[in-house]
Amino acid sequence: MKTRIMTLLCALLLSFSSFAISLQDAKDQGLVGEQLNGYLAVVKPAAGVAELVKDINAKRQAQYEKIAKQNGIGVADVAKLAAEKVIAKAEKGHMIQDSHGNWIKK
Amino acid sequence: MNHLPRVTGSCLLLGILLSGCTPTVKIEPPDKPIVINLNVKIEHEIRIKVDKALDDLVSNNELF
Repeated sequence: MKTRIMTLLCALLLSFSSFAISLQDAKDQGLVGEQLNGYLAVVKPAAGVAELVKDINAKRQAQYEKIAKQNGIGVADVAKLAAEKVIAKAEKGHMIQDSHGNWIKK
Repeated sequence: MNHLPRVTGSCLLLGILLSGCTPTVKIEPPDKPIVINLNVKIEHEIRIKVDKALDDLVSNNELF
């Protein structure tokens, strides 16, 4: 029983850290990019990228919904404001959408 | 020679009409601008609050 819990904890810890790396890696490799609507998108399909994007976006949406509810405004408005911030602070070389929705390297 | 009384008459009438109109025109403006200003202030406050919340959120490296 104890070993089972330990393995579970180890697995959780490992998946957590590899997950955190993979988002930054995916950004560095230009596999994912920031859209104008505040959500991440696949730019170049690769193994595991679609799942990563889906997972990140679900978590982002939950956070956007929380902020929207607290301030009595629409989720899309919050997401759009977030997009402005994320695109502005994106690192050089990362993929972002320009005002026409085309992918460009920052 | 008959024109003079007519001109003064119409001038008087115009004066009465104008002075009769001004009070209603003067009373209306103050109400509306105050309401609009309040709305702008509230919206501004919400925007600042959302802005701060998003700054905290966006600095989360697991999601952004």
